[in-house]
Amino acid sequence: MILGAILWRSVLLAMLWCILAEGNVGSWGVGAISTALALAASLAVLPVGAIRFSPLGLVFFLIYFISKSFRAGVRVALLAVQPRLDIHPGIETVSLRLPNGVGRVILINTINLLPGTLVLGLNASTLQLHVLDMRSSIEGEIRIAEKRIAKMLGLSLDQS
Amino acid sequence: MDVPELLSNILFLIGSVFFLAGTIGLLRFPDVYTRLHALAKVDNLGLGFTVLGLLIQAPGVLPALKLILIWLLALLASATANFLIAQRAFNRGIVPWDASESEK
Amino acid sequence: MSELALILAIFLLANLLVALLRVTRRPTPADRMLAALLFGTTGVALLLLLAYAEDAPVLVDIALTLALLGAVIGVAFVQRGWNQEREEENGRS
Repeated sequence: MILGAILWRSVLLAMLWCILAEGNVGSWGVGAISTALALAASLAVLPVGAIRFSPLGLVFFLIYFISKSFRAGVRVALLAVQPRLDIHPGIETVSLRLPNGVGRVILINTINLLPGTLVLGLNASTLQLHVLDMRSSIEGEIRIAEKRIAKMLGLSLDQS
Repeated sequence: MDVPELLSNILFLIGSVFFLAGTIGLLRFPDVYTRLHALAKVDNLGLGFTVLGLLIQAPGVLPALKLILIWLLALLASATANFLIAQRAFNRGIVPWDASESEK
Repeated sequence: MSELALILAIFLLANLLVALLRVTRRPTPADRMLAALLFGTTGVALLLLLAYAEDAPVLVDIALTLALLGAVIGVAFVQRGWNQEREEENGRS
């Protein structure tokens, strides 16, 4: 189990090096060292067994993320260029249901990348968001993002 | 001009429109938070379209994957910087601009 | 037709300059930090378009480095800006 995970990560990181070097065989000496160091770093940052990563979940998450960021991006772009500045920004507090750790980090980064929402701060159980347009509900969006991330990482949501 | 070239030129143009909208937002939006919205997110979409246009022209699989990697890195950088700037501004007590206040 | 890519690269450069000028004149340090974000997105797109228009793949590597540095720059700006400001405040009080 642990060996398998380490093997997987090594393969992924070696592939990453291959992309960076554009298949240049001459650089494999440096590549081997870099891959080993990256593997050590990845094990230190994200221990084996912390998440159950689901490739299918990743695909769903990417589809969600790309379509959502496109639609929201168009809306923010329109808000920016329309002649009369018609924005209604405000702060909203949303409860967090993902467990502490990598899931939350991904959620926060997702929210920050989706146009129209910005994380101002977080504590143990809530997120404070800056929303560009308060006229549309944001909590539903966060719930969907949470669900997708939980599925991708094999995490369970806190139902409280 | 062949079809792939036309397609990537269209994608480049769409990307540039998003960059322009991001810059306009940066100039027009009233406070640091709203400017972050304009700058980071709309620009990311612009970069996304630019990369998509280049992917069509990529000379092989590895260079194409490299372009995707660059886009992912840019996204990560922007998400991190976004979070830090917004959180810091908020912690330092910069109050978000409010439409109803400015109308008073 | 890589002419369009070249024209758009110049257009992005103009965007970058206008935004940079505007950002550096803003009062709060948080605003000035937006400049770091600008290089991460507009700068990367500009380099990628140039790499394509001029058929210079080495620029792709520069774009990669810039994107990579983007995250570090963001963190460094926030850390440094924060500390300097705190010192200024201490000096005032």
